[in-house]
Amino acid sequence: MASKSVLTDSRQVERAVALIELGARLQVLESETDLSYERLLRLYKEVAGHSPAKGQLPFSIDWFLTWQPNIHASLFLNIHEYLGKASALEDIDLIMKAFKLYCEQVAICGVEPLLSITRAWRLVKFIDTQQLASSQCSKCGGHFVAEPHNHYKTYVCGLCVPPARAGKSAAGGGIVLH
Amino acid sequence: MRKIKRIDIPANQSRSAADPPMETSLKNEQLLAEIREANLTYLMLAQNLIRADRPEALYRLGLSEDAADLIVNLSPAQVLKVAHGNMLLCRMRVDDDLVWNLLTNHGLSANAGKAGNDSANKLHASILMAGRYAEAL
Repeated sequence: MASKSVLTDSRQVERAVALIELGARLQVLESETDLSYERLLRLYKEVAGHSPAKGQLPFSIDWFLTWQPNIHASLFLNIHEYLGKASALEDIDLIMKAFKLYCEQVAICGVEPLLSITRAWRLVKFIDTQQLASSQCSKCGGHFVAEPHNHYKTYVCGLCVPPARAGKSAAGGGIVLH
Repeated sequence: MRKIKRIDIPANQSRSAADPPMETSLKNEQLLAEIREANLTYLMLAQNLIRADRPEALYRLGLSEDAADLIVNLSPAQVLKVAHGNMLLCRMRVDDDLVWNLLTNHGLSANAGKAGNDSANKLHASILMAGRYAEAL
């Protein structure tokens, strides 16, 4: 394409590099930039130092509804919503920014980040297509990732009433409950 | 009544010897200086944050876009002037019991069936805080 703007192109490359540095999968790059597959592949190898992981993206909705991932996903979603309302950013920039803030917050809480940038991106897509929604907890009033059409008035989040075996895992880096 | 008046008098105006003992007025002076200092630090930090990364700063500061515009456009002289006063310019972000209790780990058994540990409470508080402000905007 002769009319392609060099400036836009360089912005796209910049964005792709930032995404790769955050650990995004190739599919995310393909969807969020206009760069060709070959260029993205070369870029990925240059930035990450290895070939991109093959195979399908994690696409399960259920993952976001299990106890611990749900807390992480909800934190990310709240930050994402806040940023979206407070400032006019492009979708993918918004996701990247919210993801950075999420990682920062989780590190302060002394927990390993469970959400990857790819998962975060998927989550926003699921919300957009209304396969998942944010529901308000009837106890604490916080917004949490939940199934759409969830019964509003009876919904209680996993932090107010954790499921029976939640937080008992011996593995380090997770959320622990007494 | 007299005490309130005291605050409004500029420092360079002479005082009569009959006014409250030197000690309290010195203490008051020091408090005012500390408020000024806190205001100054806050405004400068806010300006730095907004200049470095605007959307991120809005999240960290809990400010609206308009407020951020106002702050970032202040000249150093204006910052000094605005900071000079007897009121703090920034205020508490947490204004409800639930978040406050989660942050301080107090009274947990009252609102949550099971007491979580520190990191779970902090996570819960951050979710609520981010959510509240998304609602308010």
